Amino acid sequence: MDEKKAAILGEIPRLRRYARSLLRDRDSADDLVQDCLERALVRLDNWQTGESPRRWLFTIMHHLFIDQMRKVNRRGEAAMLPLEASEAQAAPAEQVESIASREIIDALQAMSPDRRAALVMVAIEGFSYAEAATILGVPAGTLMSRIARGRDELRGLLDDAARRRAIRIVEK
Amino acid sequence: MTRRDFSERDIHMALDGELPVDERVAYDAWLDANPEMKARSARYVADRAALRAAFAGVLDEPVPARLQKIVFGEAPVKTVPLGSRWWLPAAAAAMLAIGGVGGYFAGIDHLGLEDPAEDQLVEQAIAAHVIYAAEQRHAVEVPASDKDHLQTWLSNRVGLKLVAPDLAAQGFQLVGGRLLPAGESKAAMLLYEDDKGERISLFVTAESAEKAKGTYGSEENGPEAVYWLDKGYSCAVVGSLPRAQLTAVAKSAYSQLLAGLAS
Repeated sequence: MDEKKAAILGEIPRLRRYARSLLRDRDSADDLVQDCLERALVRLDNWQTGESPRRWLFTIMHHLFIDQMRKVNRRGEAAMLPLEASEAQAAPAEQVESIASREIIDALQAMSPDRRAALVMVAIEGFSYAEAATILGVPAGTLMSRIARGRDELRGLLDDAARRRAIRIVEK
Repeated sequence: MTRRDFSERDIHMALDGELPVDERVAYDAWLDANPEMKARSARYVADRAALRAAFAGVLDEPVPARLQKIVFGEAPVKTVPLGSRWWLPAAAAAMLAIGGVGGYFAGIDHLGLEDPAEDQLVEQAIAAHVIYAAEQRHAVEVPASDKDHLQTWLSNRVGLKLVAPDLAAQGFQLVGGRLLPAGESKAAMLLYEDDKGERISLFVTAESAEKAKGTYGSEENGPEAVYWLDKGYSCAVVGSLPRAQLTAVAKSAYSQLLAGLAS
Protein backbone atom coordinates (compact mmCIF):
# COMPACT_ATOMS: atom_id res chain seq x y z
CA MET A 1 0.00 0.00 0.00
CA ASP A 2 1.35 3.42 -0.85
CA GLU A 3 2.21 6.08 1.69
CA LYS A 4 -0.78 8.25 0.95
CA LYS A 5 -3.23 5.47 1.64
CA ALA A 6 -1.39 4.52 4.81
CA ALA A 7 -1.61 8.12 5.98
CA ILE A 8 -5.35 8.24 5.21
CA LEU A 9 -5.91 5.00 7.07
CA GLY A 10 -4.16 6.44 10.10
CA GLU A 11 -6.54 9.40 10.18
CA ILE A 12 -9.75 7.36 10.25
CA PRO A 13 -10.05 7.25 14.07
CA ARG A 14 -9.77 11.06 14.25
CA LEU A 15 -12.23 11.51 11.40
CA ARG A 16 -14.68 9.22 13.16
CA ARG A 17 -14.37 11.16 16.38
CA TYR A 18 -14.99 14.45 14.61
CA ALA A 19 -17.94 13.00 12.70
CA ARG A 20 -19.42 11.62 15.90
CA SER A 21 -19.30 14.99 17.56
CA LEU A 22 -21.01 16.52 14.54
CA LEU A 23 -23.68 13.89 14.00
CA ARG A 24 -24.31 11.98 17.24
CA ASP A 25 -25.74 8.87 15.53
CA ARG A 26 -22.92 6.42 15.10
CA ASP A 27 -23.92 5.05 11.73
CA SER A 28 -24.62 8.47 10.27
CA ALA A 29 -21.22 9.58 11.51
CA ASP A 30 -19.53 6.62 9.86
CA ASP A 31 -21.48 7.32 6.68
CA LEU A 32 -20.01 10.80 6.71
CA VAL A 33 -16.52 9.38 7.16
CA GLN A 34 -17.21 6.90 4.37
CA ASP A 35 -18.24 9.67 1.98
CA CYS A 36 -15.18 11.64 3.00
CA LEU A 37 -12.86 8.70 2.28
CA GLU A 38 -14.52 7.99 -1.04
CA ARG A 39 -14.13 11.58 -2.10
CA ALA A 40 -10.55 11.69 -0.83
CA LEU A 41 -9.53 8.64 -2.84
CA VAL A 42 -11.02 10.04 -6.00
CA ARG A 43 -9.07 13.22 -5.42
CA LEU A 44 -5.77 11.76 -4.26
CA ASP A 45 -4.00 13.79 -6.92
CA ASN A 46 -5.26 17.05 -5.40
CA TRP A 47 -3.45 16.26 -2.22
CA GLN A 48 -0.32 18.37 -2.27
CA THR A 49 2.83 16.77 -1.00
CA GLY A 50 3.67 18.29 2.33
CA GLU A 51 0.08 19.12 3.16
CA SER A 52 -1.02 17.45 6.36
CA PRO A 53 -3.31 14.52 5.61
CA ARG A 54 -5.35 15.44 8.65
CA ARG A 55 -6.05 18.95 7.46
CA TRP A 56 -6.82 17.78 3.95
CA LEU A 57 -9.24 15.08 5.10
CA PHE A 58 -10.94 17.28 7.68
CA THR A 59 -11.50 19.91 5.00
CA ILE A 60 -13.16 17.37 2.71
CA MET A 61 -15.32 16.06 5.52
CA HIS A 62 -16.33 19.49 6.69
CA HIS A 63 -17.57 20.41 3.20
CA LEU A 64 -19.63 17.22 3.08
CA PHE A 65 -21.06 17.96 6.51
CA ILE A 66 -22.04 21.51 5.66
CA ASP A 67 -23.60 20.43 2.36
CA GLN A 68 -25.64 17.92 4.23
CA MET A 69 -26.73 20.43 6.87
CA ARG A 70 -27.95 22.75 4.11
CA LYS A 71 -30.00 19.95 2.64
CA VAL A 72 -31.40 19.09 6.04
CA ASN A 73 -32.34 22.71 6.58
CA ARG A 74 -34.20 22.77 3.31
CA ARG A 75 -36.12 19.71 4.39
CA GLY A 76 -36.90 21.15 7.80
CA GLU A 77 -35.33 21.04 11.21
CA ALA A 78 -37.30 18.02 12.37
CA ALA A 79 -34.85 15.72 10.64
CA MET A 80 -32.08 17.00 12.86
CA LEU A 81 -33.70 16.60 16.24
CA PRO A 82 -31.53 14.49 18.50
CA LEU A 83 -32.85 11.24 19.84
CA GLU A 84 -34.62 11.55 23.11
CA ALA A 85 -33.10 9.56 25.91
CA SER A 86 -35.95 7.06 25.82
CA GLU A 87 -35.39 6.34 22.13
CA ALA A 88 -31.68 6.08 22.65
CA GLN A 89 -32.28 3.05 24.82
CA ALA A 90 -32.86 1.07 21.66
CA ALA A 91 -29.20 1.65 20.83
CA PRO A 92 -26.68 -1.14 21.39
CA ALA A 93 -25.16 -1.27 24.85
CA GLU A 94 -21.81 0.02 23.65
CA GLN A 95 -23.49 3.29 22.70
CA VAL A 96 -24.99 3.87 26.08
CA GLU A 97 -23.37 6.99 27.44
CA SER A 98 -22.92 8.30 30.92
CA ILE A 99 -25.33 11.04 31.92
CA ALA A 100 -22.59 13.61 31.66
CA SER A 101 -21.60 12.49 28.19
CA ARG A 102 -25.18 12.37 27.02
CA GLU A 103 -25.81 15.88 28.24
CA ILE A 104 -22.69 17.12 26.49
CA ILE A 105 -23.64 15.34 23.28
CA ASP A 106 -27.22 16.60 23.41
CA ALA A 107 -25.98 20.12 24.02
CA LEU A 108 -23.61 19.94 21.06
CA GLN A 109 -26.45 18.78 18.84
CA ALA A 110 -28.58 21.69 19.97
CA MET A 111 -25.98 24.18 18.76
CA SER A 112 -25.86 25.47 15.21
CA PRO A 113 -23.71 23.28 12.96
CA ASP A 114 -21.29 26.15 12.34
CA ARG A 115 -20.62 26.78 16.01
CA ARG A 116 -20.51 23.09 16.77
CA ALA A 117 -17.90 22.47 14.10
CA ALA A 118 -15.75 25.43 15.15
CA LEU A 119 -15.79 24.51 18.82
CA VAL A 120 -15.13 20.82 18.27
CA MET A 121 -12.36 21.52 15.81
CA VAL A 122 -10.42 23.53 18.37
CA ALA A 123 -11.51 22.13 21.74
CA ILE A 124 -11.52 18.41 20.91
CA GLU A 125 -9.47 18.02 17.76
CA GLY A 126 -6.82 20.47 18.89
CA PHE A 127 -6.42 22.46 15.69
CA SER A 128 -4.95 25.94 15.94
CA TYR A 129 -7.19 28.88 15.08
CA ALA A 130 -5.33 29.29 11.80
CA GLU A 131 -5.76 25.64 10.87
CA ALA A 132 -9.39 25.51 11.91
CA ALA A 133 -10.20 28.70 10.00
CA THR A 134 -8.61 27.24 6.87
CA ILE A 135 -10.46 23.95 7.21
CA LEU A 136 -13.79 25.65 7.83
CA GLY A 137 -13.13 28.22 5.13
CA VAL A 138 -13.88 31.25 7.30
CA PRO A 139 -11.78 34.25 8.42
CA ALA A 140 -9.99 33.89 11.76
CA GLY A 141 -12.26 36.52 13.32
CA THR A 142 -15.36 34.57 12.37
CA LEU A 143 -13.85 31.42 13.79
CA MET A 144 -13.02 33.15 17.05
CA SER A 145 -16.49 34.53 17.49
CA ARG A 146 -18.01 31.13 16.73
CA ILE A 147 -15.79 29.56 19.38
CA ALA A 148 -16.60 32.24 21.96
CA ARG A 149 -20.34 32.07 21.29
CA GLY A 150 -20.19 28.30 21.07
CA ARG A 151 -18.58 27.98 24.50
CA ASP A 152 -21.07 30.39 25.98
CA GLU A 153 -24.01 28.55 24.43
CA LEU A 154 -22.66 25.17 25.51
CA ARG A 155 -22.35 26.43 29.07
CA GLY A 156 -25.95 27.60 29.05
CA LEU A 157 -27.21 24.34 27.57
CA LEU A 158 -25.31 22.28 30.12
CA ASP A 159 -26.69 24.42 32.94
CA ASP A 160 -30.21 23.87 31.61
CA ALA A 161 -29.65 20.13 31.45
CA ALA A 162 -28.29 20.05 35.01
CA ARG A 163 -31.31 22.04 36.20
CA ARG A 164 -33.73 19.64 34.52
CA ARG A 165 -31.88 16.72 36.03
CA ALA A 166 -32.11 18.30 39.49
CA ILE A 167 -35.85 18.86 39.06
CA ARG A 168 -36.38 15.24 38.05
CA ILE A 169 -34.49 14.04 41.09
CA VAL A 170 -36.54 16.27 43.37
CA GLU A 171 -39.78 14.98 41.81
CA LYS A 172 -38.85 11.39 42.60
CA MET B 1 6.57 46.97 28.62
CA THR B 2 3.14 47.70 27.26
CA ARG B 3 0.33 46.33 29.36
CA ARG B 4 -2.76 45.74 27.37
CA ASP B 5 -6.23 45.24 28.72
CA PHE B 6 -7.48 41.69 28.64
CA SER B 7 -11.04 40.65 27.98
CA GLU B 8 -13.14 37.54 27.79
CA ARG B 9 -11.80 36.96 24.33
CA ASP B 10 -8.40 36.29 25.87
CA ILE B 11 -9.87 33.53 28.00
CA HIS B 12 -10.65 31.63 24.81
CA MET B 13 -7.27 32.38 23.33
CA ALA B 14 -5.48 31.25 26.47
CA LEU B 15 -7.56 28.10 26.61
CA ASP B 16 -6.85 27.31 22.98
CA GLY B 17 -3.13 27.99 23.21
CA GLU B 18 -3.38 31.09 21.07
CA LEU B 19 -2.25 33.65 23.62
CA PRO B 20 1.30 34.86 22.88
CA VAL B 21 3.74 33.45 25.38
CA ASP B 22 4.96 36.89 26.46
CA GLU B 23 1.42 37.90 27.45
CA ARG B 24 0.84 34.88 29.57
CA VAL B 25 2.12 36.31 32.87
CA ALA B 26 0.11 39.50 32.52
CA TYR B 27 -2.96 37.46 31.58
CA ASP B 28 -2.64 35.28 34.67
CA ALA B 29 -2.35 38.39 36.81
CA TRP B 30 -5.47 39.83 35.18
CA LEU B 31 -7.32 36.59 35.81
CA ASP B 32 -6.31 36.59 39.48
CA ALA B 33 -7.55 40.14 39.82
CA ASN B 34 -10.94 39.29 38.24
CA PRO B 35 -12.64 36.47 40.13
CA GLU B 36 -15.59 36.48 37.75
CA MET B 37 -13.33 35.99 34.75
CA LYS B 38 -11.33 33.41 36.62
CA ALA B 39 -14.48 31.44 37.36
CA ARG B 40 -15.52 31.73 33.72
CA SER B 41 -12.15 30.38 32.64
CA ALA B 42 -12.34 27.49 35.09
CA ARG B 43 -15.80 26.62 33.83
CA TYR B 44 -14.65 26.57 30.22
CA VAL B 45 -11.74 24.34 31.19
CA ALA B 46 -14.17 21.94 32.87
CA ASP B 47 -16.55 21.97 29.89
CA ARG B 48 -13.70 21.25 27.56
CA ALA B 49 -12.61 18.31 29.69
CA ALA B 50 -16.17 16.98 29.58
CA LEU B 51 -16.33 17.46 25.81
CA ARG B 52 -13.10 15.55 25.31
CA ALA B 53 -14.16 12.81 27.70
CA ALA B 54 -17.47 12.33 25.89
CA PHE B 55 -15.69 11.47 22.65
CA ALA B 56 -12.44 9.99 23.94
CA GLY B 57 -13.67 6.44 23.52
CA VAL B 58 -14.14 6.84 19.77
CA LEU B 59 -10.40 6.75 19.12
CA ASP B 60 -10.17 3.33 20.76
CA GLU B 61 -13.00 1.78 18.77
CA PRO B 62 -11.96 -0.61 16.03
CA VAL B 63 -12.24 1.03 12.62
CA PRO B 64 -15.28 -0.43 10.82
CA ALA B 65 -14.30 -2.73 7.99
CA ARG B 66 -16.39 -0.80 5.50
CA LEU B 67 -14.20 2.26 6.03
CA GLN B 68 -10.94 0.36 5.69
CA LYS B 69 -12.18 -1.29 2.54
CA ILE B 70 -12.60 2.05 0.83
CA VAL B 71 -8.99 2.96 1.44
CA PHE B 72 -7.88 -0.44 0.22
CA GLY B 73 -9.84 0.22 -2.94
CA GLU B 74 -12.51 -2.40 -2.46
CA ALA B 75 -16.12 -1.73 -3.34
CA PRO B 76 -17.83 -0.07 -0.41
CA VAL B 77 -21.12 -1.20 1.03
CA LYS B 78 -23.49 1.70 0.65
CA THR B 79 -25.87 2.67 3.34
CA VAL B 80 -29.18 4.08 2.33
CA PRO B 81 -30.27 7.69 2.56
CA LEU B 82 -33.31 8.27 4.69
CA GLY B 83 -36.52 9.67 3.40
CA SER B 84 -36.49 8.27 -0.09
CA ARG B 85 -37.23 4.72 1.01
CA TRP B 86 -40.60 3.67 2.29
CA TRP B 87 -39.26 0.65 4.09
CA LEU B 88 -36.51 2.26 6.07
CA PRO B 89 -38.12 2.35 9.53
CA ALA B 90 -39.52 -1.13 9.11
CA ALA B 91 -36.25 -2.48 7.82
CA ALA B 92 -34.33 -0.85 10.62
CA ALA B 93 -36.70 -2.35 13.15
CA ALA B 94 -36.45 -5.73 11.51
CA MET B 95 -32.69 -5.57 11.61
CA LEU B 96 -32.63 -4.59 15.22
CA ALA B 97 -34.87 -7.53 15.95
CA ILE B 98 -32.64 -9.87 13.99
CA GLY B 99 -29.51 -8.32 15.43
CA GLY B 100 -26.04 -8.42 14.04
CA VAL B 101 -26.80 -6.47 10.92
CA GLY B 102 -28.17 -3.40 12.69
CA GLY B 103 -26.80 -0.25 11.23
CA TYR B 104 -26.92 -1.53 7.70
CA PHE B 105 -29.57 0.98 6.75
CA ALA B 106 -29.30 3.30 9.67
CA GLY B 107 -27.98 6.38 7.91
CA ILE B 108 -30.07 9.41 8.68
CA ASP B 109 -28.45 11.56 6.11
CA HIS B 110 -28.36 12.45 2.48
CA LEU B 111 -24.70 12.35 1.73
CA GLY B 112 -23.05 12.48 -1.62
CA LEU B 113 -24.66 11.56 -4.87
CA GLU B 114 -27.85 9.70 -5.54
CA ASP B 115 -27.34 5.98 -5.62
CA PRO B 116 -27.28 4.50 -9.05
CA ALA B 117 -30.36 2.57 -10.09
CA GLU B 118 -28.75 -0.77 -9.38
CA ASP B 119 -27.99 0.16 -5.78
CA GLN B 120 -31.58 1.23 -5.28
CA LEU B 121 -32.86 -2.00 -6.73
CA VAL B 122 -30.72 -4.27 -4.57
CA GLU B 123 -31.20 -2.23 -1.44
CA GLN B 124 -34.96 -2.44 -1.84
CA ALA B 125 -34.73 -6.12 -2.65
CA ILE B 126 -32.56 -6.86 0.37
CA ALA B 127 -34.79 -4.82 2.68
CA ALA B 128 -37.87 -6.67 1.45
CA HIS B 129 -36.12 -9.98 1.92
CA VAL B 130 -35.01 -9.11 5.44
CA ILE B 131 -38.54 -8.20 6.42
CA TYR B 132 -40.63 -10.83 4.71
CA ALA B 133 -38.39 -13.88 4.56
CA ALA B 134 -38.34 -13.76 8.37
CA GLU B 135 -42.16 -13.93 8.54
CA GLN B 136 -43.53 -17.38 9.09
CA ARG B 137 -47.27 -16.90 8.67
CA HIS B 138 -47.37 -13.67 6.70
CA ALA B 139 -44.41 -13.97 4.41
CA VAL B 140 -46.55 -13.75 1.27
CA GLU B 141 -49.86 -12.24 0.23
CA VAL B 142 -50.73 -14.90 -2.30
CA PRO B 143 -49.54 -18.47 -1.61
CA ALA B 144 -48.02 -20.81 -4.18
CA SER B 145 -51.20 -22.90 -4.09
CA ASP B 146 -52.79 -20.03 -5.99
CA LYS B 147 -49.90 -19.71 -8.44
CA ASP B 148 -51.89 -18.83 -11.54
CA HIS B 149 -53.65 -15.99 -9.81
CA LEU B 150 -50.35 -14.86 -8.26
CA GLN B 151 -48.67 -14.63 -11.66
CA THR B 152 -51.58 -12.86 -13.33
CA TRP B 153 -52.04 -10.41 -10.50
CA LEU B 154 -48.36 -9.50 -10.18
CA SER B 155 -47.92 -9.29 -13.95
CA ASN B 156 -50.78 -6.81 -14.17
CA ARG B 157 -49.61 -4.71 -11.28
CA VAL B 158 -45.92 -4.61 -12.14
CA GLY B 159 -46.52 -4.28 -15.85
CA LEU B 160 -44.57 -7.17 -17.33
CA LYS B 161 -45.30 -10.79 -18.00
CA LEU B 162 -44.12 -12.56 -14.90
CA VAL B 163 -43.72 -16.32 -14.79
CA ALA B 164 -42.57 -17.65 -11.42
CA PRO B 165 -39.41 -19.65 -12.16
CA ASP B 166 -39.29 -23.32 -11.22
CA LEU B 167 -36.29 -23.67 -8.92
CA ALA B 168 -36.91 -27.26 -7.84
CA ALA B 169 -33.67 -28.36 -9.49
CA GLN B 170 -31.85 -26.06 -7.06
CA GLY B 171 -33.93 -27.39 -4.17
CA PHE B 172 -36.29 -24.45 -3.81
CA GLN B 173 -40.08 -24.45 -3.86
CA LEU B 174 -42.24 -21.40 -4.40
CA VAL B 175 -43.87 -20.17 -1.17
CA GLY B 176 -45.81 -17.35 -2.82
CA GLY B 177 -45.48 -13.69 -3.60
CA ARG B 178 -46.42 -10.15 -2.77
CA LEU B 179 -46.63 -6.72 -4.33
CA LEU B 180 -44.31 -4.00 -3.03
CA PRO B 181 -43.58 -0.38 -3.78
CA ALA B 182 -40.24 0.23 -5.49
CA GLY B 183 -39.32 3.88 -5.77
CA GLU B 184 -41.97 5.44 -7.97
CA SER B 185 -43.26 2.12 -9.24
CA LYS B 186 -44.11 -1.39 -8.07
CA ALA B 187 -42.18 -4.56 -7.55
CA ALA B 188 -43.12 -8.22 -7.41
CA MET B 189 -41.51 -10.30 -4.72
CA LEU B 190 -41.48 -14.07 -5.08
CA LEU B 191 -40.41 -16.10 -2.08
CA TYR B 192 -38.88 -19.59 -2.26
CA GLU B 193 -37.91 -22.06 0.42
CA ASP B 194 -35.82 -25.23 0.52
CA ASP B 195 -36.49 -28.30 2.66
CA LYS B 196 -34.32 -26.90 5.46
CA GLY B 197 -36.40 -23.74 5.62
CA GLU B 198 -33.75 -21.56 3.96
CA ARG B 199 -35.45 -18.81 1.99
CA ILE B 200 -34.52 -16.78 -1.05
CA SER B 201 -36.50 -14.11 -2.79
CA LEU B 202 -36.80 -12.70 -6.30
CA PHE B 203 -37.49 -9.03 -6.60
CA VAL B 204 -38.69 -7.88 -10.02
CA THR B 205 -39.57 -4.42 -11.26
CA ALA B 206 -40.51 -3.12 -14.68
CA GLU B 207 -38.48 0.03 -14.18
CA SER B 208 -35.03 0.21 -15.64
CA ALA B 209 -33.36 2.29 -18.28
CA GLU B 210 -29.90 0.87 -17.98
CA LYS B 211 -28.05 -2.38 -18.35
CA ALA B 212 -26.07 -3.64 -15.40
CA LYS B 213 -25.44 -6.77 -13.43
CA GLY B 214 -23.52 -7.78 -10.39
CA THR B 215 -23.58 -9.05 -6.87
CA TYR B 216 -24.11 -7.01 -3.76
CA GLY B 217 -23.15 -8.10 -0.29
CA SER B 218 -23.93 -6.56 3.01
CA GLU B 219 -21.55 -6.14 5.87
CA GLU B 220 -21.17 -9.03 8.23
CA ASN B 221 -23.78 -11.74 7.87
CA GLY B 222 -26.59 -10.05 5.97
CA PRO B 223 -28.12 -11.52 2.82
CA GLU B 224 -26.49 -11.07 -0.57
CA ALA B 225 -28.09 -10.18 -3.87
CA VAL B 226 -27.34 -11.17 -7.43
CA TYR B 227 -28.99 -8.73 -9.81
CA TRP B 228 -29.55 -7.73 -13.39
CA LEU B 229 -30.93 -4.60 -14.91
CA ASP B 230 -31.94 -4.48 -18.51
CA LYS B 231 -34.10 -2.29 -20.66
CA GLY B 232 -37.57 -2.36 -19.17
CA TYR B 233 -37.05 -4.63 -16.22
CA SER B 234 -34.75 -5.45 -13.35
CA CYS B 235 -34.39 -8.42 -11.09
CA ALA B 236 -32.52 -9.22 -7.89
CA VAL B 237 -32.20 -12.62 -6.27
CA VAL B 238 -31.58 -12.29 -2.54
CA GLY B 239 -30.57 -14.86 0.02
CA SER B 240 -28.03 -15.89 2.60
CA LEU B 241 -26.70 -18.81 0.58
CA PRO B 242 -23.05 -19.37 -0.26
CA ARG B 243 -22.20 -17.13 -3.21
CA ALA B 244 -21.80 -20.01 -5.70
CA GLN B 245 -25.15 -21.51 -4.77
CA LEU B 246 -26.91 -18.15 -4.92
CA THR B 247 -25.40 -17.47 -8.32
CA ALA B 248 -26.56 -20.88 -9.60
CA VAL B 249 -30.10 -20.23 -8.36
CA ALA B 250 -30.01 -16.75 -9.85
CA LYS B 251 -28.88 -18.01 -13.26
CA SER B 252 -31.71 -20.47 -13.40
CA ALA B 253 -34.22 -17.85 -12.27
CA TYR B 254 -32.88 -15.36 -14.80
CA SER B 255 -33.19 -17.60 -17.82
CA GLN B 256 -36.70 -18.65 -16.81
CA LEU B 257 -37.79 -15.07 -16.16
CA LEU B 258 -36.46 -14.02 -19.54
CA ALA B 259 -38.24 -16.89 -21.22
CA GLY B 260 -41.40 -15.93 -19.36
CA LEU B 261 -41.14 -12.31 -20.43
CA ALA B 262 -40.83 -13.35 -24.05
CA SER B 263 -43.63 -15.91 -23.91
